[in-house]
Amino acid sequence: MSLDTTDQIRFFRRIRTALGHAAEVPRAAGQLFAEGPSAEDLQMLDRIDKRSTTDRQALLERLIEAGKPINLKVVSVPDLAAASSAVAGLVAEKQPEWGEAKSVAAWRHPLIDRLGLEEALARLQVPLRVTQPINPSAGRECDQAERDRQRAGIIASFIGVTAADFCMADTATLVMRNRPGQPRSVALVPSIHVAVITLDQILVDMKELFALLRWDERFRQEGLSNYMSFISGPSKTADIEATMVHGAHGPREVHLIVVAE
Amino acid sequence: MSDISTEKYVEEAKRGIADPVLRKALSSLQDRFGRGTAEAYRKLPEGPDLRLKAHEIRERAIENLDVLLETLTAKIRQNGGHVFFAATAKDAVDYCLEVARRNRVRLVVKGKSMVTEEIGLNPALEAAGVEVVETDLGEYIIQLAGEKPSHIIAPAIHKTRNEIADLFVKKLGIRRTTDPPELTQAARKALREKFLAADMGTSGVNMACAESGHITTVSNEGNIRMATTLPRVHVAFMGMERIVASLDEYEIILRLLCRGAAAQTMGTYASYIGGPRRPGDSDGPDEFHLVVIDNGRSRILADPQFREMLCCVRCAACLNVCPVYGKIGGHSYGFAYSGPVGAVVTPLLTGINRAKDLFCGETLCGACMDACSMNIDLPRMLLALREKLAYGDANWQVEPAGRAEGLAYRGWSWLIRSRRLYELVLKLAAAGQKLLPRTGAMIRRLPPPMQGWTQSRDLHPLAETTFMERWRKRK
Repeated sequence: MSLDTTDQIRFFRRIRTALGHAAEVPRAAGQLFAEGPSAEDLQMLDRIDKRSTTDRQALLERLIEAGKPINLKVVSVPDLAAASSAVAGLVAEKQPEWGEAKSVAAWRHPLIDRLGLEEALARLQVPLRVTQPINPSAGRECDQAERDRQRAGIIASFIGVTAADFCMADTATLVMRNRPGQPRSVALVPSIHVAVITLDQILVDMKELFALLRWDERFRQEGLSNYMSFISGPSKTADIEATMVHGAHGPREVHLIVVAE
Repeated sequence: MSDISTEKYVEEAKRGIADPVLRKALSSLQDRFGRGTAEAYRKLPEGPDLRLKAHEIRERAIENLDVLLETLTAKIRQNGGHVFFAATAKDAVDYCLEVARRNRVRLVVKGKSMVTEEIGLNPALEAAGVEVVETDLGEYIIQLAGEKPSHIIAPAIHKTRNEIADLFVKKLGIRRTTDPPELTQAARKALREKFLAADMGTSGVNMACAESGHITTVSNEGNIRMATTLPRVHVAFMGMERIVASLDEYEIILRLLCRGAAAQTMGTYASYIGGPRRPGDSDGPDEFHLVVIDNGRSRILADPQFREMLCCVRCAACLNVCPVYGKIGGHSYGFAYSGPVGAVVTPLLTGINRAKDLFCGETLCGACMDACSMNIDLPRMLLALREKLAYGDANWQVEPAGRAEGLAYRGWSWLIRSRRLYELVLKLAAAGQKLLPRTGAMIRRLPPPMQGWTQSRDLHPLAETTFMERWRKRK
């Protein structure tokens, strides 16, 4: 598609004229965008860095409290083995919404890989579909076929297991940035979403999150990625006579497993 | 542009006031959200004054709109997305039709968006043979019923569960139930099939951030996440003013938006979209298009009296406190935007004369400004619109309305400057009022041309002797 530059030029000409500037000359950004972190940002980054285990435990408590009114079920477990059993427990206990057969979709992710879900679910005779990154060099058709296959797998799954980049305690919000092998539909299309994080991934709020994403070298490069999601509890609606119902389009239940290690 | 029926304000308002079901629904909505939002502002760590900060942020963004939009555009294009600038509603709709045609789109799933109501996207797509499905539950209900949204956030607030039950039996073929969870489940099932089969998803934009190069959408249901994740093509529509410079500013706006819209600390889903699927990703759309819409906004931008209106984030908090909206309902406002926000924005977008009843109908009580998440001085702009209407305005092509009214006020001004004449007229009126029909002591009906005043209220009669007469006698 053409860039329709004439439309664009006219559009900006109208805005500049309306603002009382010369219509033809693009203006400089000036002070609109910060070049570096503010003193407040630096303080915040320092505070996050120096957070002790006791502080993190307190944040977890805050997260659990914030999760209650929005129906986010948070469980804290001591280690990966316990996290794995917690996931398996949900798979055994919950029933599929759309079909008879149970199957589970999970991200290809270092933390999720270490849970050993394959064996845990094999004992329950429930198949696990791990979403592999697409190999773009395999060719267009191959690529499309693999994506279709993954999509079908995710649609057929009643539980989706993901990790997350961060979790904001104040609002009980999971933060996920998009990456190959970690499709966002795993946290969206299955009826139940189970997220696994570690204690050190809990932040206080959006202020801390944005300070990290903007100014911390570990996260700055990736930034927000091309698609970042905030998820605060299960899907809900109150569109029929203002009665709250969970499970409008997204997951009906969201479980968050926090590994203390 | 979509259908505009602002001329029917009075007629629709009467209908709204006479509808007991609507009145009950609106009063319960205002009771919950009006109070809830005020409470949510109070609980902010910064207190309700954070709204003043937000106002500054939005004003600065509007004053630098050109720079911010250029920055956003460059980033989205760099990430493989398309950005189109639409001067008019028609340009925006045509662009979307072209994208749909090129991608052989047969089914579109829509996330709730007031700007697509404003530009009339649905009828245009349908006319081109594309099936369009609204996916927000409230919007879906009113689409099935063939109606229009009556509230920005709760579009089906005017429908009862019984009406929805009948509708679903007829349109979805379900067994009749009036249980909200069961009704929701029926819609969930029907819409899941649509999401999985759709070729294109459309959405609005709650707020874009120039620095990061993202648009964001917020929803509680997850429908917008579905519509922007599963189909091959995503087209997002954005009023050109919906942008802030940086993430720290965005953070403040999002917190206030969620509180203003639904008294929440955070919507269930907020998505930051910066472009299409990248190589290696297994989901997300192949194409991402952002349509930035002017459609009359640059004219608002050019007028310092109304520029402030572009700070609005369409959270609808003003609807939830407005005594007028609370009685007449959203349909009276005759366009995509209802309540106080509609009473200012609709005349500016569709014509001040044409939509005059909207801003004349508001009370100027000021509740909307207190509730506004961006602290916008709506009452000031309602008054400014009335001034334009009274005296006419060449820039806005306003014909001064009611020359008779102007004449009457000039007569009044002349009359009250003469004590003798004024007292004589009072005497005549006091004598004349004896002929008027009464209920008890109250006057039931005034003669033309003043009959409107007693249409829905009785009037106190003039006193037999005026205060001045009694005062003189006392001496």
